[in-house]
Amino acid sequence: MKYKITQNWLALISCLLISSSSIAAASVEVFEIEGLISPASPKALTTQLVEKLDVKIVNLNLKDTDTGWPQLSIEFDSGALSRSDIENAISGIEDPAGHMYKVHQGPSLTRAPYNKEELDAMAKFGPAAPNLTDVSNPLGASDESVGRGLKLFKANCSTCHGLSGNGQGPGAHGIATFPRELWAWNNAPASTDAYLYWFITNGRNEMPPWGLILSENERWDVINYIKTIEKPE
Amino acid sequence: MADVKPPRIRVGRKIKKDQVFKVKVRFEHPSFTGLGQADTETSPPFNRAIPVTYIRNMLVYYGDDLVNRFTMTSAIADNPLFTFKLKAVKEEPVKVVFFNNHGERWEVSQNIKFKG
Repeated sequence: MKYKITQNWLALISCLLISSSSIAAASVEVFEIEGLISPASPKALTTQLVEKLDVKIVNLNLKDTDTGWPQLSIEFDSGALSRSDIENAISGIEDPAGHMYKVHQGPSLTRAPYNKEELDAMAKFGPAAPNLTDVSNPLGASDESVGRGLKLFKANCSTCHGLSGNGQGPGAHGIATFPRELWAWNNAPASTDAYLYWFITNGRNEMPPWGLILSENERWDVINYIKTIEKPE
Repeated sequence: MADVKPPRIRVGRKIKKDQVFKVKVRFEHPSFTGLGQADTETSPPFNRAIPVTYIRNMLVYYGDDLVNRFTMTSAIADNPLFTFKLKAVKEEPVKVVFFNNHGERWEVSQNIKFKG
């Protein structure tokens, strides 16, 4: 009897020791994952990883991460597995789309610094796109401004864009790119002002740069008018 | 990343002085926005999936002169074909230089010789 009790105690102590050692060795690490491209990807990755290795998936954070890369938190026995074992296992898992997953390494360099040759070209031709956030309509969409814009529109723009703004003015014939139907900008929000202003000022395709012809206020008048053009029934 | 092959250039064979001629440049280079749609919970559903890769700049030199710059975004196609026109004002090479968003550089050039 005494022997049995001692045996039970020993078994219990050994169980406790084993479980305490496994808790001590368990660690959670975060892996940044490349290749999660479809809704089927997260499930494919996590299920296959659990099948391959004795690990527990703690969390897969797809978007709200510091670096922007999806982060997979894995709990594993650090005595039995190393980080590189898990990285290798992830690299061997195939996405349903046919490519292999990968653990993202290093900084996320989406745009390398411009080199001197590119900077020289930018200095010669100017930046590709303006900083549109710096531009806002100084006039406001008053009736007077819209009235002035209507006159300017008829005198300058309607030749190609048409009196109704349908893009089929007499000057549009023979132009390779059809002028835009201007009711696309009807009641456009103020955030589009800078975009319109930039295109009118600099021109595009066959449209001349009106910044050379109309004053700044005149261009804003035209923009205010354009935003009142409605699509005919 | 898919393979990148050196760019190739082609111009017309019979170019006369002051003629406007066409230049075609093919560059086999991949293009990825880097975005995936693994997220079904939140909106918009995009997450970072692969590193962004695209051709960032194309510079055109005629002789020693920089005559044009094309700036692209990640919306550009894979393996794009660029076509543009130049005026044949001198018998010097046309050189096209590419840069991608990782800062890598490629170039290709073609001598211009006037015929007739």
